[in-house]
Amino acid sequence: MQNYNQPELIITGLGITSAIGQGKTAFTSAMMEGQNAFRVMERPGRQKGTSFLGAEIPSLTPSGKLNKRLLRTASFTGQVALITLQEAWEDANLDEVDPSRIGLVIGGSNIQQRELMQIYETYSERADFIRPTYGISFMDSDLCGLCTEQFGIGGFAYTLGGASASGQLAIIQAIQALQTGKVDICIAMGALMDLSYLECQALRSLGAMGTDRYANEPARACRPFDKNHDGFIYGECCGAVVLERADSSMRHQVKPYARISGWAMNMDGNRNPNPSYEGEVRVIKTALEQAKLSAHEIDYINPHGTGSIIGDETELRAIGDCQLSHAYINATKSITGHGLSAAGTVEVIATLLQIKESRLHPTRNLENPIETSCNLVLGQSVSHVIKHALNLSIGFGGINTAICLQKI
Amino acid sequence: MNKEDIFKLIVCHSCEVIPELEGHEFKPSERLLDLGANSLDRAEIITMTMETLSLNIPRVELFGARNIGELVEVLYAKLQSA
Repeated sequence: MQNYNQPELIITGLGITSAIGQGKTAFTSAMMEGQNAFRVMERPGRQKGTSFLGAEIPSLTPSGKLNKRLLRTASFTGQVALITLQEAWEDANLDEVDPSRIGLVIGGSNIQQRELMQIYETYSERADFIRPTYGISFMDSDLCGLCTEQFGIGGFAYTLGGASASGQLAIIQAIQALQTGKVDICIAMGALMDLSYLECQALRSLGAMGTDRYANEPARACRPFDKNHDGFIYGECCGAVVLERADSSMRHQVKPYARISGWAMNMDGNRNPNPSYEGEVRVIKTALEQAKLSAHEIDYINPHGTGSIIGDETELRAIGDCQLSHAYINATKSITGHGLSAAGTVEVIATLLQIKESRLHPTRNLENPIETSCNLVLGQSVSHVIKHALNLSIGFGGINTAICLQKI
Repeated sequence: MNKEDIFKLIVCHSCEVIPELEGHEFKPSERLLDLGANSLDRAEIITMTMETLSLNIPRVELFGARNIGELVEVLYAKLQSA
């Protein structure tokens, strides 16, 4: 997929909520220190005689500015979306913008499974008393309603799904909306994927979610690119980024985080969860081509890096064969866990914050790398001025996405 | 449960649905609509009240109530015949 006469696009705001911190300040410091919140999950509806490991947001702190009526009936996913968007909104100073020129793309589908499961269990025997708001809230698009009502967004809003690439796909859709002039500013969100025990069990049975190997040492379970990896470990998170055209921006007081220099997406033609080396190589090359960058100019890669045995190996092979072995690589999921629908946006945010800090976060539990020819960041953060970053996402159903970010 | 109890129940659920009403002195003559409850809010308040009362009746039977006091009367009558 290529685009011509591409206007310069910049990212001017971000919001992040995760198990290791709410807000960019807390998140940045926890990320750089390689903190983690992995343990046996406790949120109601996450376990049923099971002990799945994951990273859960310890507590949510909504600002007093958020509408309490909306928060009361919003799902957990919806509450986190409102809190995260508020940070991005204020970060980009969007109150000064004509709301009819702002769009919102929310990445993720079937993102409220745990909450729905709880409602089924509560009301299956007394359906007459089910809350009327369920008629709205069971749809993912309720997040669009919540966010547009709270912030007055009047351009457009919709959800889209691309499995674990949803977060990046939302950014790509936002890019396209800006390129066509549909809106002047577009917010992309990777929504929190709220798993119930059924999804956890199915993902484990599928071989995607990690095993019980580290049940007694949860902090060691999430190990992207390490020889002892055996699947991803889930992590609750949500991210939002504000994109706008640099040439149309008269908002001089807003300091951009980075320029978006290229992007790409493609499909493998494969419904299954397994990755495709060819698809990943193709998406990397297309993104670099669009960014008019040669491989040696990329100095940092934020990979998909989940901890999946075949996924990690395929990704590093694709990176190496694209002549990118020199570029630093770390795995944000080793710190946050895998946010599934949120991951792509959260990892773009991790990249933006690393660009800002001129420092790369450590990769937790990377003790014996599966590949030594790549430039993996191990257990300590590294001082590095990122000039050109490449972010990768891969999703079930054969979707590959890539976004190039340039330091301004 | 007497009418006063049902009134208090409606007040309690109204405040839960519309937190801004906390501290408001509710009167039977007031309409939920005038207190800022939109149609979804009103449906929530009524469903929550019916659930607390374990009163399972078609919503249409409550449509005639024009204010909180009348809603109390209808609910009380249904409760007696339930």
